[in-house]
Amino acid sequence: MRLRSLTAVTAVIALMVAACDDGNGGVDLGDAGEDDPAIEDGTDDVDDEAEPAAEGGTLRAAIGGDPDQLDAHTTTSSFAFTVLENVYDTLVQPGEDLTMEPALAESWETSEDLLTWTFTLREGVTFHDGSELDAGDVVASFERIAEEGDNAFRLEAVEEFNAPDELTVELVLNRPAPNLLEQIGPFKGMAIAPAEAIEAGTMQDDPIGTGPFEFVSFSPGDSVTLERFDDYWGGDVALDGIEFQVVPDEGTKLTSLQTGEVDWIDSVPPEQVEELGADDQIELDQVAGNDYWYIALNQDREPFDDPAVRRAIAFALDIDVITEAARFDAATPNETAIPETSFWYHDYEPYGHDPDQARQLLEDAGVTDLTVDLMVTNEFPETVTFAQVMEAQLGEVGIDVQIRTEDFTTWLADQGDGEFDAFGLSWLGNIDPDDYYYAQHHSEGSFNFHGFADPETDELLDSARVETDEDDRKELYDQAAERIVDLASYIYLYNPDIVQAWSPDVQGYTTRPDQATRFVDTSLAS
Amino acid sequence: MARFVLRRTAQSLVALLGVSIVVFALIHLVPGDPIRAALGTRFDPEVYELLRERSGLDQPLVVQYVDWLGRAVQGDLGVSFRSGAPVTTVLAARIPPTAVLAVASLVVGIVVAIPAGIIAAVRQGKAADYLATGFSQVGVSIPDFWYGIMLILIFSVTLGWLPPLGYTEFGEDPVDFARRLILPAVTAGVVTGAILTRFVRSSVLEALNADHVRLARAKGLPERYILRHHVLRNAWIPIVTVTGLQLGTLLGGIVIVEVVFAWPGLGRLALDAVERRDYPVLQGAVLFMAGAFLVINLLVDLLYAKLDPRIAVR
Repeated sequence: MRLRSLTAVTAVIALMVAACDDGNGGVDLGDAGEDDPAIEDGTDDVDDEAEPAAEGGTLRAAIGGDPDQLDAHTTTSSFAFTVLENVYDTLVQPGEDLTMEPALAESWETSEDLLTWTFTLREGVTFHDGSELDAGDVVASFERIAEEGDNAFRLEAVEEFNAPDELTVELVLNRPAPNLLEQIGPFKGMAIAPAEAIEAGTMQDDPIGTGPFEFVSFSPGDSVTLERFDDYWGGDVALDGIEFQVVPDEGTKLTSLQTGEVDWIDSVPPEQVEELGADDQIELDQVAGNDYWYIALNQDREPFDDPAVRRAIAFALDIDVITEAARFDAATPNETAIPETSFWYHDYEPYGHDPDQARQLLEDAGVTDLTVDLMVTNEFPETVTFAQVMEAQLGEVGIDVQIRTEDFTTWLADQGDGEFDAFGLSWLGNIDPDDYYYAQHHSEGSFNFHGFADPETDELLDSARVETDEDDRKELYDQAAERIVDLASYIYLYNPDIVQAWSPDVQGYTTRPDQATRFVDTSLAS
Repeated sequence: MARFVLRRTAQSLVALLGVSIVVFALIHLVPGDPIRAALGTRFDPEVYELLRERSGLDQPLVVQYVDWLGRAVQGDLGVSFRSGAPVTTVLAARIPPTAVLAVASLVVGIVVAIPAGIIAAVRQGKAADYLATGFSQVGVSIPDFWYGIMLILIFSVTLGWLPPLGYTEFGEDPVDFARRLILPAVTAGVVTGAILTRFVRSSVLEALNADHVRLARAKGLPERYILRHHVLRNAWIPIVTVTGLQLGTLLGGIVIVEVVFAWPGLGRLALDAVERRDYPVLQGAVLFMAGAFLVINLLVDLLYAKLDPRIAVR
């Protein structure tokens, strides 16, 4: 009897804690950008009551490679972004459901013609050097990004950056861009840095942001150290600091987590997921990610310029088996690009696994003795694995696959020069459908390395990009997706899960589908 | 003596120049280029051309080399394509960990190899000899990453005595410095020790069978005395040579050991630089390795004279 009431009390406490946790989930303004991005209340709704655990401590986090350099606007290293996610802020940022929420901008409005966006900045935000954030910093940051090349495409639609007053930023567009928030929000390549630092050219050596942690030191190849920023605009931060340790070997990384040498690791190889899941000394989080893996056929070469031949290959492949071989259970097969967890997902599976259909299509197209030079890279070992499965599956319909494994730099050069019949790779972390399709499948797209050119797809992608009604926009993208899949511009394979692991002492961290590694709400139990 | 050092230094500089030319040519011959690597899959022809121009890669190779050499003699090795940091700074950060690991591994190797090799030679054909040659065989045939993984499993995972990874500067925390150094140093030291054991054994054996040793025996000198004064003195020369070569190799960075133990050394730097075609860093790293090799060889030559008065340094 006593035992039972004790259990009840425990359950009630657990519920209270859970409720408390929800409140602590960061800035929760819900519907930003859902129906009408023009109106946004954007009050400063940071929940100060949900107190962070007071233990403090330094989180030791293992990352799989060297960040190269820490200039947010120019680095291309994903490891740099794992670090910088905690140092910088953007105007808006994706919430848990990946819709854009206020961050440095507390609200925004768009003009009737959707060509002018006006952002109101949060008041009293300070940079790590003590200076205050104003509109000039935002303009300076955007101007640098637009000049520096690498992320300039995200600001392609923006003609002018204006700062009418201290806390107002105005972006003037040359075409409606319904996805502008998704361009400037989801990653720290769009970081807002102090105008002085940009002028002085010190962003690389001394990254100064507005985020929950400030930069202390970077020892290349070894570690990056951050410490808590006490004047963070988002409220109290529990951790004293974070030490990112570079651990290139996957085995050593896992071991170091198991031995307590580190508290958190940035990834878990798919083949280890099952074993680690059974280890109660380790917390494992696995969420469906936004990336997708695919193969592309060179449409500037015969016979891959014939959609029927590409479709034959799509019919011959069994993506369930490919997914299982390449990722064990840590992925979801998908015949389109966008994962089913997304608002933009379109349920469309015309292929399945149908070798008879494949043979028939090849016969009708008059193609016999087909050899495919399939280029993969050992930089991403799963491309080598899935190529081997493809070799067997395509062999069944009489296609001879020649696997060519290159180191990544050579691979990139060959891709750029069109030296391939087929290649397999992935695209990372997208949120807006324009990012999934335009650059890859528009005939003028900058990442259309495989020579896909279809006027109807171009038209769909061009009009979807400027369509402001969300439902109409989704309809257009659904059509575009069907067209792209039917013509087998890419043959899509799967969306991989994001798998991260940490010690049970780490609290308040969740693995996010966009792979943003935010430790702002994290604490360490001692 | 001074003239000898001068002459050897001049020779070394010529050798370094040769190395730099060969490396420069080789890394530019490998397919793939650094700008493409930096841009990754987000490739844009305009950005590409712009970056090529900015980094001087659009110039003819000879112009690039002369340019590089002109700045190199002034101590400027250029900037890394990946990080934009000066190559000298990048190297300066990686050399201490590598040097520490190289010296520690060599010490482990010597501590194992000298007694093992001498005992094996003296007790040739006996159990101790088989044990030592067995160790040596196994040591060189099994790859170092395997020892690394085994040592981590035993001393970090099972016993929990030593950390499996990382590097701490001596000045920061000497105890932690030592704890983190042990496993990688033993891993690389086993292989070094195995190689050295064979040389020590064969050098000592050779010296043991020399005429003057037989004469000493015939004179009835005690075995211990013969070993110390007649055998080892002559055996040192080849041992010192090989040990020097080993140190040179270790200073080049022990890539696999550095990867397994997350050791921030030169080997990993060079590997990353190759993968990303970071020419300036690769060029700088190889130059340092070659330079270290030449300096050690010079020191070994000087040491010969100390060990054997018959060799005069001129």
